[in-house]
Formats: sequence, structure tokens, C-alpha cells
Amino acid sequence: MLLAKTFRSTTFRLALIAIGTFGLIVSAIFAYVYWSTVSYVRSRSDRAIVTEQASLREVFARSGRDGLIALIDQRIADKSFADHVYMLSGPGAVVLAGNLKQWPDGATAAGWTEFRAAVPTLAAQDPLLRGLAATLPDGSRLLVGHDISDLDGFTARIRAAGIAVVVLILALAAVASIGVTRRTVARIESINATSRAIMLAGLDQRIPLRGSHDEWDRVAENLNLMLDRIESLMGDVKQVSDNIAHDLRTPLTRMRGRLEKAYHAPRDGEGDAALIGDTIADLDIVLAMFASLTRISEIETRARRGAFRTVNLVEIAGEVVELYDAAAERDSTRLDLAGDAEVLMTGDRDLLFDAIANLVDNAIKHGRAGGRVTVTCCNSADGAVIAVADDGPGIPADQHDRVFKRFYRLEQSRYTPGNGLGLSLVAAVASLHGAKIELRDNAPGLLVRLCFARSANGAPERRA
Amino acid sequence: MTGAHRRILVVEDDPETAGQLVEQLTTSGYDVDLAANGREALDRGAARDYAVITIDRMLPDIDGIAVMRQMRDDGIAVPFLIISALGEIDDRVRGLRAGGDDYLVKPFSFVELLARLEALGRRSETVAKETILRVGDLAIDLIARSASRGGRRIPLLPKEFQLLEYLVRNEGRVVSRAMLLQHVWDLHFDPSTNIIDVYVGRVRRKVDDQQAYPLIHTIRGIGYCLRAPG
Repeated sequence: MLLAKTFRSTTFRLALIAIGTFGLIVSAIFAYVYWSTVSYVRSRSDRAIVTEQASLREVFARSGRDGLIALIDQRIADKSFADHVYMLSGPGAVVLAGNLKQWPDGATAAGWTEFRAAVPTLAAQDPLLRGLAATLPDGSRLLVGHDISDLDGFTARIRAAGIAVVVLILALAAVASIGVTRRTVARIESINATSRAIMLAGLDQRIPLRGSHDEWDRVAENLNLMLDRIESLMGDVKQVSDNIAHDLRTPLTRMRGRLEKAYHAPRDGEGDAALIGDTIADLDIVLAMFASLTRISEIETRARRGAFRTVNLVEIAGEVVELYDAAAERDSTRLDLAGDAEVLMTGDRDLLFDAIANLVDNAIKHGRAGGRVTVTCCNSADGAVIAVADDGPGIPADQHDRVFKRFYRLEQSRYTPGNGLGLSLVAAVASLHGAKIELRDNAPGLLVRLCFARSANGAPERRA
Repeated sequence: MTGAHRRILVVEDDPETAGQLVEQLTTSGYDVDLAANGREALDRGAARDYAVITIDRMLPDIDGIAVMRQMRDDGIAVPFLIISALGEIDDRVRGLRAGGDDYLVKPFSFVELLARLEALGRRSETVAKETILRVGDLAIDLIARSASRGGRRIPLLPKEFQLLEYLVRNEGRVVSRAMLLQHVWDLHFDPSTNIIDVYVGRVRRKVDDQQAYPLIHTIRGIGYCLRAPG
């Protein structure tokens, strides 16, 4: 099973291609070495023959046939010419001199020839000879040759060594690539097995680490982190759906009860009108809740920042303060804008307005009646900062993280109007702008700070 | 409005929604033509002069935005009201950029639709050139940005003046909360609080308190209407 996967794997195919290419190159190099060595050795031997023949012909020209015969006999006797063969044949193939028994078959009157013949003066039995034939001016033929058996053996050895090396390299490469591929396949297979287990059973499985801290361990670690994140998101989704179910059921139950009661009661113009009006109002609450939810998820999943412009945070905060001025006045709350006169940042004006509005709305609603709400914008070393502070009861420190969850409402505010989505929206907007949210004790009251990192003016921030 | 300007083209592919729209608009005194797809909308839009065209973004054949662009290219200047189930902010902005004059997100209340149609239809009528607008004993000076009732000046903040101006310009017509947010605060979303009511409440106190008669009226379940008695 693993072996079959090994052979099917991409790594293995790539290794095969690499081995093939490498093998071809090595073979080509060896072929070149072989060819150049052989041709070098052969050309040296050929040059010696040509020189020897030239000197013999010179002797013939100077001393005639007899002189040549004498020299050939002298050469045959000479130990230093032991690997040479000579043949001088007169007309009618009469052997005049030489250490060959007869003129070799196939050797033409002039030119190179290779042949085998028994030569008594040579050690080798039936050696391979290479000779150069020529016709002398008197019509007799002269052949000067060399024993090339040694050369033949030399080239055979080079060839054998080359083939052996190529075969060895290919074999080693094949073994190595199968080994590497099997290791890769095994690691991928463990990731695959975990994925299958997750699809079948659930998100509690994790990919095992080998502790080798190699790239495979890093892949496994990252995948495990991703699984952790997915698991926590799934948990959030489940909690949100539970909350939606709960928060929707309340108005829906109310509407159903009302309609059912009206259905069984006799028609009554005025009462019916009031009932329909109330039902529409309740439906609007449900629809508004849906709108808020889709808006939050839309902001959370928005990748592009198409609507981002350079905005003055103070201007937006000022508009919010102006809009909420009337609401603050009604609660006798003092709503002030403080801080720098201009705080420039890159952002989406509508979303920032919405987030600040939610914070101010919360501060007025949950702050102290007759208290004070202050919105402060300032430029810090790290970027734009906006803070909304009230002097109400505040939020206990242990609940600071939870208030950003959808539908989360503090026990104390269960009965104030609102749907528990405001801070989720603020968190989503902050995240889109790469801003950090801090909740602090304002002693008394709550201080919410949004710190927009300066890098938010450029590259997208990683979502928290 | 003249006779021709009571005619509305509804472009809507869902038969039930289309039926409701036609019925309710007819009851409200409009002449209504219906187009069930983009091609039909283009044909009808070219054949007749409409006061307003309401167009669904998602049509079976041609995208609503493309229909709008086509008509604009053909030189049809009628105001468009985009009706869309896609509530996303980007989507709304794209709709307005493509030549839509206003938008409404499904589901919407019929009174809201009616309020917007009235406002859009009026836009194609002659634009008032006066710099002082009067309703009853209320006068607002568009140059000085000041308002007075019976000659007595009403102190208003800039946004409060803008809100009153919008109400005065739509005198006698219902203006929804969303329309106020859109035109006075340039906000293309619903802050889902009653903040607008509180704000209008304060403007109303400034305008109507200790006066002979009230001008700003609450229209239950939708918004406000500014009108003089009689």
C-alpha cells in the first residue's frame, strides 16, 4: 500500500526525471572521455606507423629493394620494434620480407587496414593488427603495421569502468529517491489520515509531530493551529446560533401568541389594528437583528478595503457626538469631545462612524444618568487613538473579553434595550482597521480605547 | 404631480412581490407597469416616460445594474429606485454609482417605499429657486442657514438646520428615519437605535414648542412629516 503510493507520488516521479537526466549527462561525459582517449591513443599509434613507413620508403628510394629488405629484417630482429609488423610483397604476392606469413586478406594496395594474423615475434596469439599499405615505385607492396591488441584491451576497460559507474550511480539514486519518497509519502499520509479522521469523527484529532523540527513538523504544527482556530470558530458559531435561536424565539413567541389569541377572538377593528402594528414592530426587531448579524459577518469577512480613505477621526467623532447630543441631553448626561483637533488615519468612514456610535450609545445607555461621557481622539506615537469613557458602573474585569461575543449581555443590562451585538460590531470594525481594543476601569466607569496601528495605513493587518 | 408623472415602472421577477407592489402602488394612486425581466424593462423604459422606475438588482436575464446603465446610456433620465436583497454596504454604493438615485433593501415596509417614491418623483419636477422656504409661519433661509417661526428666530445647530431643511423640502411628504440618516448624516446603514427619534425630538421641541400649531408630525412605524395645518 505504502509502496504503491510511493510509486504514484509526485516526489518519486520528479526523482525519476532527475535520475534520468543525471544518468544521461553522466553517460554522455563517459562517452566523450572514452571517445577522446581512444582517438588520442590511436592517432599516436597511426602517426608512428606513418613515420615508420616514410622512413622505409626513403631507404627504398636510397638503397633500392635489397636495402629495404635488409632494413626490414633488421627491424624484425630489433627488440624495440617488437610490436611492429612488416610485409614487403613482390608481384604475384611473393613475400620478399617481413614477419607476416602472407599479405593479409582485405588489405588493399594502399591505405589503412585492420586485420588479425599470427605473428611469431609477437607475444599475443592472433593479435589485432592495424597497418598502412603502400605500393612502391617498382610495383612491390609495403605494409607497416602495429599490434593494437593492447589499445583494444585499454578501451574495453575504460568502457567497462564507465558502464559500471553509470549503473552504480543510477542504482544509488534510485534507492535514495525511493527512500526520500517513502518518507515524504509517509508524512503526507499521516496528514491525510488525520484529515480523514476529522471528516469522519470531528475536529478533536491532531496531526502527530515527530519532534524533528523539520519542515514537515512545521507544516503539521501550522495545520494543527489552523484546526485549533477552526474548532474555536465552530464553538463561536454554535454559541451564536444558540443565542440567535434564543433571542429570536422571544419576539417570535410573542407574535405567535398574539396572533393566535386574535385568531380565536372575534374581529375588532381597533384592537386588530393595534395588534398588527405591534406585530410589525416585533418583526422589525427580528429583521434588525438579522441585519446587524449579516452586517457584522460582512465586515468580518470583508477582505478588500475598497472604501478606505484618509479620514479625520475627530471629524467623525464630532458628527457622532452631535448625533448623540440629543440622546445625552435627554438622560442629562454631559457628552463631550476632547483631544487633538485633527487625527488623520486611513479607514472606512461609515464603519468608523458606526463603531464610534455604538461605543457612545453604550456609554450613554449603560453609564450613569446625569453622568459624563467623554470621547477623546488623539495622535499617539503608534497611530490614531480614540477613547470613549463613562462614569457608570463599568464592566467587571473578568468579563472584558466576553463582551465582544455576539449577543453577550451583562446581567445588569439584560433589561436595557439592545441586542448584544454592538460591541461585536465594534470588534469587527476594529479588526478590519487593524486596531486594538482595550477595556479599562475608568474608576468609576468604563474606558474603551481603539488604537489604530500606523501600519493600518498600508498593508492589511492580520486578524486577531 | 402631473398625470404622466404618476406612472411607475416596477421591474421585479418574483411574481408575488410584483403583485403586492402593483396592488399597493395602484391603491396609492399610481399607474403601474410591470416588467418581469431586464429585457422587458429596457423595452418599456424606452417606450414610455416614467416618473420613477423601481428595479430589482437580481433579475433572471440582465443584471439590474446593467439595465440601469443601458437606460442611462440611451439618455433616459428617469430616477431609479434600486430594490435589493443584497444589503451589503459595497453593494449599495455600487448601485448608486451605476446611476441609481436611491436604494431600498429587502425586506422593506411599503410605507418606506412610498416615501422614497414620493421623494424621487418630486425630484424630476422643477427645482425651487427661492432661497427662503416657507411652510405656515416657518421660514428657513438657505443662505443664512437660519430658521424662524412667526418672525422669531429658532436657534439651531448646523445638523439640526440640515434636518429641518430636508423636512421642509419634503413638505407634506412622509420622510423615513433611513432617509434622514442618508440625507442628513450621509449614513448608508441603520444604527439600529432610536437615536434619530431622539434627535428629531429635540428639533421638534425647538420648532414646535409654544407655537400656535405643530409642524413636525410623527408618522407611526415609518418616520416624520412636516406640514402646516389646513
